[in-house]
Amino acid sequence: MISPARVRSIALKEMRHIFRDWQTLVVVLVMPVMMMFLYGYALNADAREIPVMIEMPSPAPETRAIADKIDASQMFAVTGIVYAAPDPAELFKLYGIKALFRFPPGFARDLRRPGGARVQVLIDGSDPNLGTLIRNGSEPMLLGATLQVLGVRQPQVLDLRTLVLYNPEQRSALFFVPGLMAIILLMISALLTSVAIAREKELGTMGQLLVSPLHPLEIIVGKIIPYVFLAALDGFLVLAVGRIAFGVRIAGNPWFLGLCSLVYIFTALSIGLLISTLVKRQQHAMFAALGATLMPTVILSGFIFPVTSMPIPLQIVSHIIPATYFLEIVRGIILKGVGLHELWTPLLILGGEGLVLMAVAIRKFKVKL
Amino acid sequence: MEPAVAIRDLAKDHAGEKALRGISIDVPNPCLFGIIGADGAGKSTLMNILATLTDPDSGSVRELGRDAAREFASIREDIGYMPQRFSLYQDLSVEENLDFFADIFGISGKDKTDRMDHLLGFAGLKPFKGRRAGQLSGGMKQKLALACTLVHHPKLLLLDEPTVGVDPVARRDFWTMLKSLRAEGITLMVSTPYMDEAALCDSLVLLHEGGILAEGTPAQLLAAYPYRLYRVEAAPDAAVSTLNYPGDKPPPPGFVLIYPSGGTLHAAEAPGGEAPLAGEAPVAGGRTQGPSGDPVQRLRVAVPEAYSATLIQPSLEDCFFALLSGKMVMKPKSAPGALPAGTGS
Repeated sequence: MISPARVRSIALKEMRHIFRDWQTLVVVLVMPVMMMFLYGYALNADAREIPVMIEMPSPAPETRAIADKIDASQMFAVTGIVYAAPDPAELFKLYGIKALFRFPPGFARDLRRPGGARVQVLIDGSDPNLGTLIRNGSEPMLLGATLQVLGVRQPQVLDLRTLVLYNPEQRSALFFVPGLMAIILLMISALLTSVAIAREKELGTMGQLLVSPLHPLEIIVGKIIPYVFLAALDGFLVLAVGRIAFGVRIAGNPWFLGLCSLVYIFTALSIGLLISTLVKRQQHAMFAALGATLMPTVILSGFIFPVTSMPIPLQIVSHIIPATYFLEIVRGIILKGVGLHELWTPLLILGGEGLVLMAVAIRKFKVKL
Repeated sequence: MEPAVAIRDLAKDHAGEKALRGISIDVPNPCLFGIIGADGAGKSTLMNILATLTDPDSGSVRELGRDAAREFASIREDIGYMPQRFSLYQDLSVEENLDFFADIFGISGKDKTDRMDHLLGFAGLKPFKGRRAGQLSGGMKQKLALACTLVHHPKLLLLDEPTVGVDPVARRDFWTMLKSLRAEGITLMVSTPYMDEAALCDSLVLLHEGGILAEGTPAQLLAAYPYRLYRVEAAPDAAVSTLNYPGDKPPPPGFVLIYPSGGTLHAAEAPGGEAPLAGEAPVAGGRTQGPSGDPVQRLRVAVPEAYSATLIQPSLEDCFFALLSGKMVMKPKSAPGALPAGTGS
């Protein structure tokens, strides 16, 4: 019933469309690389040299030494030292500093008293991420600097040693490469397939195809084959750029990653196919595909916001969208180097979702107009 | 012999309106069959049903001896369908388009090369076979589309408004191609809004608001025209040489219809109307002028610029005009081959 020759001719025709429409082809190939660099540099969560000021009414050698230590740290850059700050908000406004360390008069004296000394840290909270970063970073830094200045060894009460696994340097590249894989593969597959089929409807050629011995399955399979290759090429591009420009190495088996990606692409193509059965115009297909894939994936898959901190209804949605599972798989393979033994559950769910969506799409694919 | 297409009581609602209201048509085999009608008459709805792309609400269709509702898959193998808009791939070349359609109809090897060669020659597209379809002229696009629908030797061709938007010369070429296909024994159903193309059909129906207003051969339609028809012209030296007549103005007394046609007016006079020309048989082409029984005098009541009135043979356009304005009635045929019955004012 399904003739490979006819599938091949549909696929060949689709390839011709792709190569003739070189603008789209360029977008498809350049966009992933561009997104990589955008995320790579814009989404840099590693804060360095944050501008701060220090208020120091009675400079003592100890206070100066602590100020030097603050300036010497990677995190902060001291842009000025003031003797008094009657209106600290002015400093934030005028000099664009993000924090003000206020050492009270007699700080050096208080250091050696039983009650200890006080320091106030004013933080610019208009950027919540940066604010949190400063708050978490300043206390251990100040404490360490003070103890060092006093020549006191830290009392061995609790030896807390955190060791970050899988991404020891906390590099954001390791975080966005898997995320971009998930987004780009989904977007390319769903968007291009739905548009390709909607185009036949819009041009009126779908009628021609239907009034032919073509089986609907031949049309579907023939049309999606070229996009599987295109999506796979994009996946490869993301990994290559990740490795060359951002030094992200795949810890696990690259072939297994390829296999999982194909399962994910299949699921994404099914989404595109389902959309194409519901719309008649390319524009509608485009918006539907973007709405159904890009936004939920960016926000709900755990790419940017952790799933565990979402409210329950959104967590449920998150557990429906395929990107969540693919993200788990890609992070597992690239960062942890794990394999099928650990990842069979998300892989199974991903494949299952693909099969269900594909079955619905084929059922809904009309042999009449 | 069974007709190529037998349509019975076909009805279909489209967007809440009756696109087809219970029509019946028999198309003999072979035949070049015209479906004439303005936009919105129901032509495309009918074509889509015949192409098995749309299901009717009621009624039945038999095509090539098969039931369209049950055996649509088998019918699709033997029909060629050319949709209303140009629906080939603009970014593929002429040859690639043909090649694709040959492939999906399972034609391969030497068969394919021969068939493609033949069709490129037939459509006169051999010199352009490497050109992108989007870069062809309107007429060549339609010829290519026709060639693509012919690739699998269909027995029945359904062409939905194939000549719309095509220049007159290319339209004539296109109809010559249709005639030669008809001569090969293929049945063609062609829908068109151009009334002048009706004369090129073996047989036709006039579709109006989803119903059949008239059917028969062009000769039968012309024979059923009930009026004496005059071509009314202005004086050759008149300041305004083209005549016009507002559509909402009633015709002058004694006349049933008066309407502009190519700069002149066509005026239809009821044979039993006022001031008959006693004992004088109307002679086509005979110019009458001067006497008081003269139609020019009677026409001048409404058209002061009228200078001459020439008795002419009605064309199919005149028939359609009379039919569409309700001044001519043709009862739908009860059986194929029957003469049109009943004419009246």
